[in-house]
Amino acid sequence: MIVCFSRALVVLTVGACVAGAAAPAFAAGSHGQHGQGHGSHATAATIGHPGKASANTRTVTITMHDNYYEPESLSFREGETVRFVVHNKGALVHEFNIATAAMHKAHAPEMMMMVEHGVLEPDRINRDAARQMQAKMGHGMHDEPNSALLEPGQSAEIVWTFPKHATLEFACNVPGHYEAGMTGTITLTH
Amino acid sequence: MTAIAKIVRALALGLSGAVGLASPLTAGEYHITVDAVTIDTGDFTRTGVGFNGGSPGPVLRFREGEDVVIHVTNNLADDTSIHWHGLILPFQQDGVPNVSFPGIKPGATFTYRFPIVQSGTYWYHSHSGFQEPDGAYGAIVIEPQEPEPAAYDRDYVVQLADAHPHSGHRIFRNLKMMPDYYNRQQRTLLDFFRDSRDQGFAAAWSDRRDWGDMRMMPTDIEDVQGFTPVINGKGPEQNWTGLFQPGERVRLRFINSSAMTYFDVRIPGLKMTVVQADGNNVVPVAVDEFRIAVAETFDVIVQPDEDKAYTIFAESMARSAYARGTLAPREGMEGDVPALRQPPLLTMADMGMAHGDMDHSQHQGMDNAQAPAMDHSQHQGMERAQAPAMDHSQHQGMERAQAPAMDHSQHLGMDQPRTAGMAEPDPFYAPGSGLQPEAANGGKFLSYGDLRAQKPLYAERPPTREIELRLTGNMERYLWSINGVKFSESEPIRLRYGERVRFKFINETMMTHPMHLHGMWSILDTGRGQWNPLKHVVSVAPGTTVHMETEVDAPGDWVFHCHLAYHMDAGMMRKVVVEGGPGEKQAAAKPAAATGG
Repeated sequence: MIVCFSRALVVLTVGACVAGAAAPAFAAGSHGQHGQGHGSHATAATIGHPGKASANTRTVTITMHDNYYEPESLSFREGETVRFVVHNKGALVHEFNIATAAMHKAHAPEMMMMVEHGVLEPDRINRDAARQMQAKMGHGMHDEPNSALLEPGQSAEIVWTFPKHATLEFACNVPGHYEAGMTGTITLTH
Repeated sequence: MTAIAKIVRALALGLSGAVGLASPLTAGEYHITVDAVTIDTGDFTRTGVGFNGGSPGPVLRFREGEDVVIHVTNNLADDTSIHWHGLILPFQQDGVPNVSFPGIKPGATFTYRFPIVQSGTYWYHSHSGFQEPDGAYGAIVIEPQEPEPAAYDRDYVVQLADAHPHSGHRIFRNLKMMPDYYNRQQRTLLDFFRDSRDQGFAAAWSDRRDWGDMRMMPTDIEDVQGFTPVINGKGPEQNWTGLFQPGERVRLRFINSSAMTYFDVRIPGLKMTVVQADGNNVVPVAVDEFRIAVAETFDVIVQPDEDKAYTIFAESMARSAYARGTLAPREGMEGDVPALRQPPLLTMADMGMAHGDMDHSQHQGMDNAQAPAMDHSQHQGMERAQAPAMDHSQHQGMERAQAPAMDHSQHLGMDQPRTAGMAEPDPFYAPGSGLQPEAANGGKFLSYGDLRAQKPLYAERPPTREIELRLTGNMERYLWSINGVKFSESEPIRLRYGERVRFKFINETMMTHPMHLHGMWSILDTGRGQWNPLKHVVSVAPGTTVHMETEVDAPGDWVFHCHLAYHMDAGMMRKVVVEGGPGEKQAAAKPAAATGG
């Protein structure tokens, strides 16, 4: 397993790990310049940060279909920590990514690059191609705590602490999916 | 996503949950009259044929799972018919005179009855004479039982057509008399002097001689020019307009109901996300421009976020005319209308001349030129007078040599890393083709290779056999045929229920043919295996070989033809008989649901 995959996975595979055979789900790739970090510390103030689940943490189930979410809008208290259990029930690879609209937009070309390198196929994540891309480009796929990129049938869990003020949406940045409407709104209330 | 789109989806979810999928949701009854109508494009007015008093006819909105009953009354003085283009239905309901049913006599009413077993964007048109070119077409929109795979706030049909001031009969007569009657882009003596200056006299002269030998011209891209492209019946000046609120997602259902014209479609300032092709959902792909063959449909999602007018601009493939419509926040607004681009010129590759023994080193760096350096010594032995590229018997070796290099099944789907910013050769055009389009803004132009079925309908399995269909013709006499035999002299293609047939199209002509099989899906081989898209029209560019596969799951009598109206009438058509299967006895025992005609 390459370096990027071996980082402590915040994103855990639920379904696949129970089955025992499948490789873990990957968080969506971030291909930002090396040496600039991968964004989580830089964005913590704006979109929130990975949380620690406690007994009181609310669990929200997100089901991903082709190409939409169920539910399509979410509402939380400012600063609330939420456990997301994300299931991909579609026939295609989908992403659940918490970010601002601008961040999603910036993320799109990176996802396109993954398609072009054969890493992201319609219904699977090609790990061989990811390794080749890693070798060739010096970077491949990374686990990002604010997102989960899932093959059909996979599930993942994200624990996320929301900030006080933010305009956020959850979205799938697999090329074409956001444009086709695979987004949802996150409202933060007092 | 906005609130409206969510409500639409919630409704769809609620309905599909509440109503059992097996039982029909509704049994809709529809009445359609076939009428003489006035066609008014802004450029000209004439009498044509339409439905319910207009052209195009009404948009028919069905629901998947519905059983439809459609009464069609013929108010014309001639026989008529309606074919439900792309719909999967019993063959007696398919609407092809003398194949599915006898047709509908003047004054008679025929009642079509069939279940709606699919969803998406389709269309309907007369399959009699030249009524379709004369205006007898309309759109079909079928709402799915499952939620849409794309979210949108508004939904518009954008139906393209090439309205012509001449009637279909007159056009066909003129084409038979003089095949280049409607070619307004013929090369002149002046062009020859220009070519001589650019290429040298010898090259220009030999190039001319080659084209002359083939009885064709580099501008033979559209047989019929002089038309006014229309969107939903409106000419460019009449400016069909669809309204939006900035930020909304708008679904545009493009349908090309032209008799003869391919369009290259773009909306400057907007990315278009293709979500459906020929009624079947595809893995969404964002593009700047796409080419729509005659009889195809493409559904795209756009999200105009500025408070301004955007122009829907559809140039004909030979750039002889454009359709124009507008997306705007308010009625009466207009966006900039781009100029037509330079017409493409066919190259020797499009003539099927880029065969195996040709020295490809001579073609390095060739732009869209006309293969000026081609070595004519290689063509000795071709009989000048015989329109060689069209005459199969003299070209066995040639097309065989050419076919492997274009066999998509072997060359696509490799998912090779692509180099950004470089226009890649599209394997659905002959290498060196003058026809391969490029996006006006230098961006992404949709290729067949980009289409992937969102949810494959059939399990993948090897085909049981292959049937070769050479697309053949003789421009000189305006004869169009399959395997050199025109429809009136041909035997039907016989298929067995339950087989999976691989069709191999070899285009030996210099024109692009949109091939349409009735009754069963055309699974276009893009080299993607189970992701190969389902279509009802497969466009085959000059000098290429394209494969499609069909699961033979619909018993009865069907047709397979080029959807260019005048090519079909000239003979590029076959009857297809599906023998055996569960419907065999039923089909024989149960007469067509006719109440008239």
